[in-house]
Amino acid sequence: MFPELTKIANIKSRKIASMQSEMMRFPHYNIMAKEIEKEIKSGTDGIIITHGTDTMHYSSAALRFILEDLSVPVILVGSQRSSDRGSSDAGLNLISACYFIANSDFADVAICMHENLSDESCLILPALKTRKMHTSRRDAFRPINTTPVARVNFNDKNISFMKKGYSKKDNKKLKLKLFNEKIKVGLIKTHTNMFAEEFLAYKNFDGLVVEGTGLGHLPNEETDEYTKENKKIFDSLKEMIKNGLITVMSSQTIYGRIQMNVYTPMRELQEIGVLGHLSDMTPETTFIKLAWLLSNYKKKEVKGLITKNLKGEISERIEDKTFLI
Amino acid sequence: MEIDYGQINFKCGIEIHQQLDTHKLFCSCPSFIRDDKPDIVIKRILRASAGESGEVDAAALHEVKKEKQFVYQAYSDTTCLVELDEEPPHDVNKEALKITLQVALMLNARIVDKICFMRKTVVDGSNTAGFQRTALVAADGFIETSKGKVRIDTICLEEEAAKIVKRSEKEDIYNLSRLGIPLVEIATAPDIKDPEHCMETAKKIGMILRSTNRVKRGLGTIRQDVNLSVKNKARVEIKGFQDLRNMPRIIENEARRHLKLIEKGEELKKEVRKANKDLSTSFMRPMPGSARMYPETDIRMIRPDASKIKIPELITDKSERLEKDFSLNKDLADLITKSNKTEFFIKLAEKYKNIKPLFIADSLVNSGKEIKRRYGKEIDISEHIEEVLDYLNKGNISKKAVFEILVEKAQGKKVDYQKYSLMSDEEIKKILREIIEKNKGAPFNALMGQAMARLRGKADGKKIVEMLKKEIS
Repeated sequence: MFPELTKIANIKSRKIASMQSEMMRFPHYNIMAKEIEKEIKSGTDGIIITHGTDTMHYSSAALRFILEDLSVPVILVGSQRSSDRGSSDAGLNLISACYFIANSDFADVAICMHENLSDESCLILPALKTRKMHTSRRDAFRPINTTPVARVNFNDKNISFMKKGYSKKDNKKLKLKLFNEKIKVGLIKTHTNMFAEEFLAYKNFDGLVVEGTGLGHLPNEETDEYTKENKKIFDSLKEMIKNGLITVMSSQTIYGRIQMNVYTPMRELQEIGVLGHLSDMTPETTFIKLAWLLSNYKKKEVKGLITKNLKGEISERIEDKTFLI
Repeated sequence: MEIDYGQINFKCGIEIHQQLDTHKLFCSCPSFIRDDKPDIVIKRILRASAGESGEVDAAALHEVKKEKQFVYQAYSDTTCLVELDEEPPHDVNKEALKITLQVALMLNARIVDKICFMRKTVVDGSNTAGFQRTALVAADGFIETSKGKVRIDTICLEEEAAKIVKRSEKEDIYNLSRLGIPLVEIATAPDIKDPEHCMETAKKIGMILRSTNRVKRGLGTIRQDVNLSVKNKARVEIKGFQDLRNMPRIIENEARRHLKLIEKGEELKKEVRKANKDLSTSFMRPMPGSARMYPETDIRMIRPDASKIKIPELITDKSERLEKDFSLNKDLADLITKSNKTEFFIKLAEKYKNIKPLFIADSLVNSGKEIKRRYGKEIDISEHIEEVLDYLNKGNISKKAVFEILVEKAQGKKVDYQKYSLMSDEEIKKILREIIEKNKGAPFNALMGQAMARLRGKADGKKIVEMLKKEIS
């Protein structure tokens, strides 16, 4: 369908699965990783995975964690307009990814999608700090709390890097740290008028990511006669954490950092063992990271690693010009 | 030499596209066509895609071979992500669907059980999506004409395309303000007998469309495509008729072109041609193939309910009714129905029993034009006339004052009705006596001249004559 591709690279393609991306489960991350390993062993210079867009940022995060010592680029590409139509963004995204792989020394996992509404440039986006921020726009994928990795200009075929440090192609030997397919991690979004039952649904889970409000809140205090349920939430959570549920805070504001020292209720949450303080990971990356850590490390280690920057998922500094870009 | 259209096996049908006067078909944007400076400009590339049937369309390929970029102009306040192909379509505009069902009933057509929107591949850039959404709403209708029935094969509801701003070798610029306006597409069977008959058919369908009162008016809001063939050779589609009055000549010229080529033994191509100013036609693009349509899966199927649809009165019937009920002449009646003021006129005529309907009708449709011509001012007569007629109906002002007051309103002045108020008989009598007293022995005409000078606009002329005669005798 895209004859231009053959002028950029020798391409071998095959289907490893076919489904809408919201149907995906942890085994699919492992399947992708194993297929990538196979290709790298056979000497490929780069890999493109065409992927449904809805959970593409979950997959990019999962692959980034699984693939250790990656020596070639792995780029996930999607399209926001289906390729049956003349206006599909699939072609430009795919061609740009291919061109980027063929003409740069980048060797990491990334997403390649439209930069804006025009068919002029694509962004190479960091695997762990990108999110689908719009239901339908071509430029739905945006970097969160960071800048894009690079821009590929379609017209003059120019690649410009926007991040200084990135992993480069070398002869490292790939190792896989796969997902334990039996791990159960939940993701709960807090809201007003919550009930303890909502949290209790996760009592038999291994981990829980809370998408809290603001700096990292959830309704955990009884402040008047109408807020008794909040106390129940607090007590339930305390009990579940005591029984081994690893609970990590993230924010529904999407942008910014968790800071759980600022207000008393958050300090109380820290005291019962809610983690996530000073993390700036998206809820989705937090979810994937927690599941991956629980798959590969002991619970005690997980508690320390979740807020430690392992692969670029946490930025120590958030620069001003990274908001709403 | 005159052509015998029966003899040459002239086959002709017409396709009419009419914009509806509602918001857009698949979003809530206003159907506001504009050409001022856009605040959004984006660039796109369209590719020939295989569609769901897997075949790549001939017309689509023709366009893609040109390898063009498309520039789209849009406006934050009147276009949205739907026109930009950045958001799936909303549900179909119910109002537009209702009007289409009305048109279907007026064309005696059979409404389909299920309305399924389709994607019609268009890669000339005129649709940001690369396709136009279209749905068959009704089929198998007919209209009566002077040369017999013309069958209506299909009635579709579809999206208007974007408007071309500039074409160049490397890129085409389109304005998105027009994209997505609801269009009714009416296609006749090849029942048209000759070029004149084609114009008559186009006019009749146009009249029926306007009778809904919900179609857009003005240049480019209705378009006619004519399909024709002679001697069973290739069919040609002609687009771009600017003036219906030229339609018969353009069709005749095209038929002659066909006959000439056939005579020379040259091949006639199936193609789309453009009507030229000199009444000839020229090549536009190849005829689209059949791989053009596949289902639009973003829109659910609709089961239309025509049971509650009211059929509007035809404009021609309305005119006749005005002529009969209000003793208007045909020209005036036509002017009222054409300018969509029928209901308003009837309301005024029934409300103001002391005023002749003819005067109301004339004021309603002509005074605005007259003020524009004489004073160069625009005025919406419908907005002001009721207030003025109110005074006239009560006998407070003269008929003549109506126009003068409207002029003042058009000039933006505050009208002092006192100035136009008619005098009582007593006051008139007093003034007439004064004039007679001062000009003793003067002839009647001289007295009348003076009386008119003082009483103009304050009393009816006829009345002054009568009263003056009485006073002298």
